[in-house]
Amino acid sequence: MKDRLFEALKKSSADYAEIRFETSDGTSLAYRKQEVDRANTWSLCGGIVRACKNGGWGVVVFDSLEGLDVQVQEACRCAALVGREKTILAEMPPVVEERPALLGRDFRTISLDEKLDLLGEYNRIILGANSAIASSSVEYMDTMRVVFFANTRGTYFMEERPKVTCAFRATARDGALLQRAHDSVASAVSYEVVLGLEDMAREVAERAVALLRAPKCEGGPQTVILNHRMGGVFIHEAFGHLSEADFLCENPRMRRLMAIGREIGVNSLNVVDEGPLQWTTGSLSFDDEGTPTGRTVLIKDGILAGRLHSLETAGKMGERPTGNARAVRRDAPPIVRMTNTYVENGQRTVQELFQGVDKGIYACDAFGGQTEFEMFTFSAAYGYRVEKGERGELVRDVVLTGNVFETLKAIDGIGNDLRVLDGAGGCGKMGQAPLPVGFGSPHLRIRGVVIGGR
Amino acid sequence: MRNPMVETMKEVFFRGLEEARRLGASAAKLKFFHKEKIAAKFEAGRLKETGSEERLSYAVHVLCGGRMGAASGNRLDDLQQMIGRAVSLARVGRVAHFDEYPPPREVTSVRTHSERTRSLTRDHIIEGCGQIAGSLKGYDSDLFVTCSATRLESESLLVTSGGVCHGGMRTQWALGGFAQRTRDTDMVFAGYGRAWCDLNPLYAPGEIAARIITDLRRAEKGVPPPTGSLKAYLPPETLRMFIYPIHLGIHGRNVAKGESPLQGRLEEQVLAPTLSIMDVPHQEFAPRAAEMDEDGIATQELVLFQGGVLKRFLYDLDSAGLAGERPTGNSGCAPYNSTVLPGDCTSEDLLSSVEDGIYIRSLMGFGQGNIGNGDFSANLALGYRIEKGEITGRVKDTMVAGNVYELLKGQVFLSSDLDYDGRFPHAVIEGVQVSSKER
Repeated sequence: MKDRLFEALKKSSADYAEIRFETSDGTSLAYRKQEVDRANTWSLCGGIVRACKNGGWGVVVFDSLEGLDVQVQEACRCAALVGREKTILAEMPPVVEERPALLGRDFRTISLDEKLDLLGEYNRIILGANSAIASSSVEYMDTMRVVFFANTRGTYFMEERPKVTCAFRATARDGALLQRAHDSVASAVSYEVVLGLEDMAREVAERAVALLRAPKCEGGPQTVILNHRMGGVFIHEAFGHLSEADFLCENPRMRRLMAIGREIGVNSLNVVDEGPLQWTTGSLSFDDEGTPTGRTVLIKDGILAGRLHSLETAGKMGERPTGNARAVRRDAPPIVRMTNTYVENGQRTVQELFQGVDKGIYACDAFGGQTEFEMFTFSAAYGYRVEKGERGELVRDVVLTGNVFETLKAIDGIGNDLRVLDGAGGCGKMGQAPLPVGFGSPHLRIRGVVIGGR
Repeated sequence: MRNPMVETMKEVFFRGLEEARRLGASAAKLKFFHKEKIAAKFEAGRLKETGSEERLSYAVHVLCGGRMGAASGNRLDDLQQMIGRAVSLARVGRVAHFDEYPPPREVTSVRTHSERTRSLTRDHIIEGCGQIAGSLKGYDSDLFVTCSATRLESESLLVTSGGVCHGGMRTQWALGGFAQRTRDTDMVFAGYGRAWCDLNPLYAPGEIAARIITDLRRAEKGVPPPTGSLKAYLPPETLRMFIYPIHLGIHGRNVAKGESPLQGRLEEQVLAPTLSIMDVPHQEFAPRAAEMDEDGIATQELVLFQGGVLKRFLYDLDSAGLAGERPTGNSGCAPYNSTVLPGDCTSEDLLSSVEDGIYIRSLMGFGQGNIGNGDFSANLALGYRIEKGEITGRVKDTMVAGNVYELLKGQVFLSSDLDYDGRFPHAVIEGVQVSSKER
């Protein structure tokens, strides 16, 4: 493959060109209510040629390696139509490496029957947990994505990127009222992650039923404590996307706003993006431009300390490439994305965080989040009232919003119990979703977060 | 298409059906899709990227012993292997609620391929983006502007063991722009785009830019957000979003699996009497127009809600069997082009009727919650205050919440004028919960 890619790149007339070719093989199984509801498999291949000439990009998406040199020429021709400036890409020493996956228990060795038996057992637990359970969903997916990459700078890599996920959903019904609860696991290293989830299945079912009786969370500004997953989604949405340099690079006002050295959060806030964690699905050895991934400090002691880059954004901003150019699929160009983004440990215990709250909300787990840089929103799967430092009544519909330039400074407690997590979902940006990412946080306490509701 | 493949694929798929039968399948269908696309993208107001794409894919679904398995790929050499994998999966796979794919029936022909779109060149789409970028930068040179355009031509084929052999061709253009205005820490994001199968006056860079500029103008001034239970004005793109939970509710498989709040409510007054909603798969040149669903069943124009009364759920072949109902020809149990019938007054009069309320232009986080029940709580990403029938300025740090079913069952006023694709009017609803941070 290496020779084939480099041979095709010889046809490049651009300042820079690259070819990324991928294969993706996987299986998707699901139970829904009493039955197997899905049994699919796929085997796909294809890739993308990108060429940069005078600062303009040409992109050609293809399925087959046949005629690859023609695709390279077409990409160069497109780039020549566009470019009117100078090509500026950060320098990176070429790497030539192959990284097979470091799999523990390989999902490819597990039979269909064994997988379905496991899912069936989890499904029975959910359906049997309570008479109010109206429906269940247990979804399993495994994928082996293999990425081959070469560029005109002499870089070549092959990386296997496996992923296993299992997601539970329980639907409880009381008349016309439906409530749902969910949870999921994911791993880049072992099928073992989907074993032993009986307690999780049971909790999901019990929570769905409990949410039927739970009142809605009141709207308005509140003091909130976020658990690990919620804290991870918070920092991902509130700040993570703002650190992606392709949102800043060509936007002078955003660059000034997000200048390195700006005070952006409380002085106990430290945030990191770390690519090579290995075990999460957001981990990778090389980004999709061949840059080795690394650990990038984004916020240090409340001060903006770094950004996430592609070769182009790093070059144009005069900074070091960080290995954060990622593509969600074989047909997508790489854009700047997070890998595993988390808040580092603070000093407080969880108990101390709760003790500081006379009246507030404990927001747990996450449905998801969204950002428009200045404003962000993130949605808890469920929450609890906190009164006089004690966790109280379960509440539902806990959706929080904030302004990044205020909320990061309204954090007044960072726990010492960091957990970096993974899940079956992913991040979306510019039409590329769901990109696997890891996220995490210790427990966090934040004052004055607006919650939607009456 | 430069390299049409449908005729060749018919023979390949007929052989595929035989292979599936040989391996023990009692029924099978094979789907093929092939597209060619060109694209252009502007960033920071200038041409950044252009490119092309040619891709194909296929999927095999087989029925063996009352169960289904599916396999998909894009290497034609692997087709036989993928048929084998689908049959292996069917052994343990999804329980099937039908015995055979139905025989071919007459379909309503609908045009989805346009020579005019096909002739749209790369220079044309670059020019279209350039016009949008130029208009936006002309309005405000400090805006950060991105634009994109695509032109696509595709062919598809469905072959089933029931005897269906149906091919189709489609063209589509898409054109849109996006502007970000940043003033210190205050940001406004405004975007708009269109897509259609035929190259007609809808391909209007000037109109697209004008819509974005209208939003930017309205957002020039910030005003304090209101709080409480308020009237909300929903432009067509927002009403379209509010209808999404309704789609989940009429999804036949969700109903059959006990996951729809509309279960058991056929012929009930579910929505306001002013709301009549149809599915219109035969709208000429609409991007999702279809003659046939993915099981070979002819599509039909269907009344979903008549005067707010729920008339039907949507079923594909298997979900219909599960529910004991007739299939409606809706792939994935989803509408093709859900269409809200218009009201009586113009959108200007509708706006004037709002004494005190909010204009919801876009929301952040809608759908990230218990949306299956219709519940939502979202940040008003771009919204305005309406006072005495006029937009007075932008509101920020504001959440809107409610239940879509409750809101659309209350007072719903609809405009007579519709969005560019003729499917959604403007609307005013009452009782949206608005909460915000005092400043």
